[in-house]
Amino acid sequence: MTLLLPDLLLLLLAALILAFDLYKGEEASSSNVTFHICWIGLMTIFFVLLGLPYDEQALYLGGYQVTGISLLFKQIFVLSAFLTVLLSKPYFTPGGNYRGILQYRSEFLFIILLCTFGMFTVVSAVDLLTLFIGMELATIPLYILSGYQKEDRLSVEASTKYIIMGSLSTGLLLFGYSFLYGCAGSLTFEAIAAACTANPDEPLLKLGVLFVLASIGFKLTLFPFHMWAPDVYDGAPSPVTAFISVSSKAVAIAFLLILVYGPLAAMHSYLQPILLVLAAATMTVGNLGALKQQRLRRFMAYSSIAQAGYIIMAMAGNAEAAYSSIIFYLFVYAAANYAIFFILSIIGRNGEENLSGLRGMGKKNPVLAAVLMLTLFSLAGIPPLAGFMGKFLLFAAAAQEGYYAMVVFAALNSTISLYYYLLLMKEAYITQPKSSKKPLRLDSIQKTSLAFLTFAMVFAGILPVFSSNILAVVQ
Amino acid sequence: MTLSHCITLSLILCAIGVYGILTRRNLIGILLSVEVILNGANINFAAFAHFKATDPTAGAIFPIFVMAVSACEMAVALAIIISMYRRKKRLDVSRLEELNG
Repeated sequence: MTLLLPDLLLLLLAALILAFDLYKGEEASSSNVTFHICWIGLMTIFFVLLGLPYDEQALYLGGYQVTGISLLFKQIFVLSAFLTVLLSKPYFTPGGNYRGILQYRSEFLFIILLCTFGMFTVVSAVDLLTLFIGMELATIPLYILSGYQKEDRLSVEASTKYIIMGSLSTGLLLFGYSFLYGCAGSLTFEAIAAACTANPDEPLLKLGVLFVLASIGFKLTLFPFHMWAPDVYDGAPSPVTAFISVSSKAVAIAFLLILVYGPLAAMHSYLQPILLVLAAATMTVGNLGALKQQRLRRFMAYSSIAQAGYIIMAMAGNAEAAYSSIIFYLFVYAAANYAIFFILSIIGRNGEENLSGLRGMGKKNPVLAAVLMLTLFSLAGIPPLAGFMGKFLLFAAAAQEGYYAMVVFAALNSTISLYYYLLLMKEAYITQPKSSKKPLRLDSIQKTSLAFLTFAMVFAGILPVFSSNILAVVQ
Repeated sequence: MTLSHCITLSLILCAIGVYGILTRRNLIGILLSVEVILNGANINFAAFAHFKATDPTAGAIFPIFVMAVSACEMAVALAIIISMYRRKKRLDVSRLEELNG
């Protein structure tokens, strides 16, 4: 049972927080108790995850599998939930954000934890039913969270758009599953893999795979299905945006990895060109879209669309290279994205999260501006930061299979992205603010988290310990 | 009635649903179209379970799970739509215009 410990602890933590809230009522939403329980609990779960044996695997109740790879994904999800909880703190205190105070903190934490449990289920699934339930458990809470600021028109509009697109994608996903089921005659991954190996050219199978790809394209913001992302990222409260951009994307990638290298492994040569075309289109659209944005959260939406493109490109490679490079990149991407969103939450305390909000930062908050610079360079992939190492591994995974043209195209795209990341640097260091500004105020949680994230970004790039650990687990 | 009849029916339902989502102006209408797509998929599962599958129980159970999950989804969707109605006083998708660019 030890391998199941993190999942059980997570459920227990969620139940504890809800019970505390029900027991204390009004008192709980104004006090910080649930917040402290939540972050301490998530930290404990993370250390439990680190201590588990990564070379073992076990199957529980015939449908819930724990492997080394799924434990790595769980690390990402727990880390992301932990950072979201820390990030959300100022949003629940008066004066913490210009858009107004968020209410019902315990429910917020509870929904984040349950959503994370859904993600755990996705990476533990061995049949389509568990995969479906997990995916829904990981998505439905996000609709609620993105509309969490009930009094704010933008937040409500964002969640309406999100749930319409999300339910359409669920419908397509179900069609895909039904064709896979019809083809294999059973819902287990083993049966689907057998059907796929026996007859990879079966039209029913291809139809099913295309439906599943279209559906996961919504969640992963792949090119023709990315339209909702900027609106939702812009309208939702910032901690939720951060959670959607990291956790929800990570779970969609995990889902695709599980299918592409699990049951559909025999079709990989058929999927490769589709994935590469999607990757090329996605990174181009993301990078071109980011060029003209003024609002920082829309900017981050396009930036994360482009990052999804780079990640999908690695799926053209073999299983080992794809798993290790993508998991490493997800850690790097999570660190950089959360650093940006912590900075956004600091800017958003007193004003709009626009490009002009960054002005004067280089003079008034030199340390914060330096952190912003490191983060943007990591996102753009400048050596020796972690982002460079991550992108290098992604590109290497595609290059190993001989897709050199694609790698060159991605490198060119990466250059475009450097341009718009530097636009942010220009605002922070060169453009003068119209009126003199007070320096931005940071509380201790923000300082500690930013220090931790910066440390992670710098050292994960220099020391290969981290990436070689992931590679060892994948092998 | 054969398997191909059922699959044709479910694909027609899928097409009707997608058409509805794209053309309906009213949010409730859009939710109904989503339900049509989900039920099309359910017919698919039931048909495959009846005509073809080696493991028919799995295909028969799946639609029940789908119904439960889609009930949750619709509960959340209606709550969101109500809170949107309170803010904007209309249920028209053309009111979803403040976020763009």
